[in-house]
Amino acid sequence: MNEDGSLVRLENIHKAFGDNLVLKGVDFSVKPGQVVVLIGPSGSGKSTLLRTINLLEEPTEGRVLFDGTEITDIRTNVNEVRTHIGIVFQQFNLFPHRNACDNITLALRKVLNVSQGEANKRALQELKHIGLEEKASAYPSQLSGGQQQRVAIARALAMRPKLMLFDEVTSALDPELVKEVLDAMKRLADEGMTMVVVTHEMGFAREVGTRLLVMDDGRIVEDGDPKEIFAAPQHERTRKFLSDVL
Amino acid sequence: MKSRSQRLSAWLNDLTPLSAGVLALGAGAIIVAIPGSIVFVVVQGLTPFESIVSSTTSPFQASLMYIAIALGFAAALAGYSLYRRMPTKAARESMLAGAALGLQAVLFSAAFLWFSSGDLFPIFIRQFFSFDVLGEFMGTFLNAARNTVFLAFFAQLIGMVLGAVFALMALSDRVVVRAPARLYINLIRGTPLLVQLSVGYLGIVLGLGLDVSVYRAGIIILGLNAAAYTAEIFRAGIQSIDRGQLEAARSLGMSYLQAMRYVVMPQAIRRVIPPLTNEFVILIKDTSLIVILGFVFGDRELLAWATDAYGESFNATPFIAAVLGYLAITLPLIRLVTALERKLRSGLVGIGA
Repeated sequence: MNEDGSLVRLENIHKAFGDNLVLKGVDFSVKPGQVVVLIGPSGSGKSTLLRTINLLEEPTEGRVLFDGTEITDIRTNVNEVRTHIGIVFQQFNLFPHRNACDNITLALRKVLNVSQGEANKRALQELKHIGLEEKASAYPSQLSGGQQQRVAIARALAMRPKLMLFDEVTSALDPELVKEVLDAMKRLADEGMTMVVVTHEMGFAREVGTRLLVMDDGRIVEDGDPKEIFAAPQHERTRKFLSDVL
Repeated sequence: MKSRSQRLSAWLNDLTPLSAGVLALGAGAIIVAIPGSIVFVVVQGLTPFESIVSSTTSPFQASLMYIAIALGFAAALAGYSLYRRMPTKAARESMLAGAALGLQAVLFSAAFLWFSSGDLFPIFIRQFFSFDVLGEFMGTFLNAARNTVFLAFFAQLIGMVLGAVFALMALSDRVVVRAPARLYINLIRGTPLLVQLSVGYLGIVLGLGLDVSVYRAGIIILGLNAAAYTAEIFRAGIQSIDRGQLEAARSLGMSYLQAMRYVVMPQAIRRVIPPLTNEFVILIKDTSLIVILGFVFGDRELLAWATDAYGESFNATPFIAAVLGYLAITLPLIRLVTALERKLRSGLVGIGA
């Protein structure tokens, strides 16, 4: 934890791709156990903000503190920090040349130096948790999109992270497969995992989120209880966005 | 999925008698023209070359050609004029196939009749089909073919190891790492292999008096050359892997090198097998360029063997033997590339194994 009791704190984050300013000074922190949902129009910087938390995007300016360490400090071992932060992507990004079980055990063995036997045990346990234990030896191309995404969640969880990041994880799924992934995320939230979720699923934001951040044009324009914001958005941009998507 | 024999019988069912007849006519014409002539000439004897000349200019050979022209002309005429009236696709296709085969038989036979009646024909046969000349050189032919394969194989080995290193360097974000690799790759790709062989062997090995045989120097120079092309193949293969793969691996805590080794490279290697095999075929052919450096007797590869044999016999038949030698090595590889590319396109390589 950081000194202020938060697990993650972002201070004055700016990010530019060339001349294109994507983040224009973002401050926020996440307390342990919170499920923070990030919404906003496309191009507002949600995904970029999420990806600065595990430094897949390096901020041009500003600091990221995670669990008492300033991870934007050049001397921090980013690889070590990332083992504590799980991320799930829109495109699943499972390793197509390895089966479901090996997808999960690869980093356990090569990064955490867990023994093969122990890693397999943990992988099966995680697969069982998401109801896919019988798919342990299936390759990603033999799984449906929803199953692939659940394996991707299991792969991240097997590292026993302190924080989970979700980057539009249902956007690439067929509509009938969305629910199984959202259910897995809801169960994780119920178990007390700290989560930051970028999503277009407003139902999920309202039901599961404990906190809602609305982004627009590289800034956070609203921050509060999801139910209150949905009922009575304070900011003009939020009202416009919600009326467009709901 | 129907079996091959089921598909064949369905296809036969769709043929009309006329279309089957035209196909048979065209096929008959080409069989008389080419395999027919070959069987006749072989039966009459391949050595000495005079026997080939007398059989190919005989009245029997001429009558084979005239028969082929007559059959082929009939097939082409009937096929091209009537194919539109055929009731099924199979019938139309077999009309067109019969017409095309017939036309080819006509063209081949006419060209052969014209060519074999010329004054130069016996000289041509002596120059390229004096198989008895090969006799005394045959003992060293297999050794030469083996040397060709070994030169290419070891050069490819050097090329792949160095190529992988250069590819990783060329992909670096840091200019100081990238620049030397780019410089090397462009230097090699921008200069002729013959010049590289001259600089490397005549200039360096002979010029500096190093104790290195042409054979070894050839392997090293060909390997250094292949490294540049292989590096580009590897680089393209690595870049073809979706960026999300690297991100997923890095976000699980892997270092850049771990992510490359366990996630990106295993996928990239599958994709580069066809272009690498292609590169190997090119390398096999390029081994012939070493001939300009001059080989000692036992080290000769196919072209050096053929050149020496030509020098002793003043006959070009050894070159025909070399051509067949190269094809015997390269054709299976070319077929392999085609098969691999088809497999890769079907996506089956993506899963497992």
